[in-house]
Amino acid sequence: MTNELQTPEKLAPEKLTKKDVRTAWVRFYFAQEIAHSFDKYLAPALTWALTPVLKKLYKDPKDQAEAYQRHLLFFNTQLSWGGGTITGIMASLEEARAQEVYKQEDITIDDDLIYNTKSGLMGALAGIGDAIDSGTIQYILIAIALPWAQAGNAIGALFPFIAFSLYQLGIGNYFAQLGYKLGRTAAGEIVGDKMKGIIEGLSIMGLFMMGILASSYVKVSSSLKFNLSGKEFVIQDILDKIMPGLLPLAVVAGVYLFFTRKGMNVTKALIGLTIILGVLAGIGIL
Amino acid sequence: MMHVTVFQALAIALWIAAIMSRSFFGGATTTLRFTPMMTGLVVGIVFGQVADAMITVAAIQLIYMGVFSPGGQMPSEPAIAAAVAVPVALLGGLKPEAAIAIAVPVGLLGSYLYQFRFFINTIIQQKYTEKYAAAADTKGMFRSIILMPIIVAFLLYVPFMFVTLYYGTPVIADIVKSNSGGIIFHILEVIGGGLAAIGIAVTVYVIGKKSYIAFFMLAYFMATMLKSLGITMVTYAVVGAIIAFIYVLVTTEARSKTATATSDAGGSGVTFDEDDDDY
Repeated sequence: MTNELQTPEKLAPEKLTKKDVRTAWVRFYFAQEIAHSFDKYLAPALTWALTPVLKKLYKDPKDQAEAYQRHLLFFNTQLSWGGGTITGIMASLEEARAQEVYKQEDITIDDDLIYNTKSGLMGALAGIGDAIDSGTIQYILIAIALPWAQAGNAIGALFPFIAFSLYQLGIGNYFAQLGYKLGRTAAGEIVGDKMKGIIEGLSIMGLFMMGILASSYVKVSSSLKFNLSGKEFVIQDILDKIMPGLLPLAVVAGVYLFFTRKGMNVTKALIGLTIILGVLAGIGIL
Repeated sequence: MMHVTVFQALAIALWIAAIMSRSFFGGATTTLRFTPMMTGLVVGIVFGQVADAMITVAAIQLIYMGVFSPGGQMPSEPAIAAAVAVPVALLGGLKPEAAIAIAVPVGLLGSYLYQFRFFINTIIQQKYTEKYAAAADTKGMFRSIILMPIIVAFLLYVPFMFVTLYYGTPVIADIVKSNSGGIIFHILEVIGGGLAAIGIAVTVYVIGKKSYIAFFMLAYFMATMLKSLGITMVTYAVVGAIIAFIYVLVTTEARSKTATATSDAGGSGVTFDEDDDDY
């Protein structure tokens, strides 16, 4: 029996195209949190997203099974920045690995490298992605649409939903393609200096819009009034003379200070503020 | 007594199950789960009162501003909150601010159900996905990663939401209505008006960087002073973008100047060091 060095032609990995990467991204976008679980988080979604790619790369069922299992380890990141980029990078790493497997070379793109790339990036990219997408862009879109909703118009609901979904699909595809093209080096590109400026700008704009929202929508006023020798004093009128909008600002500041002291515990803040406001309203101060 | 029809309760229950299964347009459901406005619209369509529903849900949206899930932690389920609070408001003729006070506890309860779905998903992934992956069975993986979790979510959420809406909502609405005008209403409205501060404070906190709070204050006082002018959000967004752009422009310039300045100082610093060595 001769030592078979050459793997049969039919097991050769196919070349991945732009379309393959886009398909993988769209599949991840769809599957994202469907199989959300305690131990794997989004890993099943990423595995399912990559299956068409892995099928093209590994023609031997044994290699395919290994590849699927490789991606079923804990994975959690943000949808478009993290999910998009990592889907692209994984496709590119697996393509390089499939070549090595086919040519029976030493595997340099080993399981550890693939997992470490993934786990190294998922946190950093999630941080950026959450702050920009969920924390800023989504709420700027909602802030723009809120007056329409308050006027009873359905556009107020439709506009932020459609605009944000399209934005995430688009930017995710951009990051997936970028991730595929640059492979392992993609992360540096995204976390780089130019991004810093954009993140700064978005943060400022986000805070600015929150200031506008706070002024328009936090409604706290004093209903306290009393009579002093026949003259009626309305506390809110006096407060407005000192500084309009003082009470709402005080409430926002109070919650913010609570977060800076005790960490961001939204549940506690909700319950605490409900009790405080309820009591003050009950005894007639607010 | 007011009531919710079977069709109304079922339609809203199915909508919530579609969101909570995360299957409705995939990643887009994240937006649906964390921001209740689309749910409010669906409730409005189902009840034939789109305008009133939108006005109510806009108020509910405010307390959930900035509430998203860094690392998957979610303190509340805004979509479920809206699915119960908006019908109550429509049935009981509640002010939007009072509806908020109903939304908050419901949203908190909803998050426990999400934990339970997580738990079942974990079992499915352990038991099935791993087996199918080892056998390179992609059809099986589709079943265990996509189909089964979706079915589980529907089995969990449809009955839960249906019962809550069909039996619970009219009762809450009745209680609320029979007390209208009283102190309870005043309390609910004060709470609702103040809770909007939570969402805003969360966003300010998450965006971070203490010095940037100046931009929040600038916007707050600008909007308070100019309230009578009725400036739109889009206009404010444009102003905000311009201010952000100018700030980044100025700081980048300043940074590149300091960079050159430091390198100069570094040059002269060497001579100082040499002087020091003489002592």
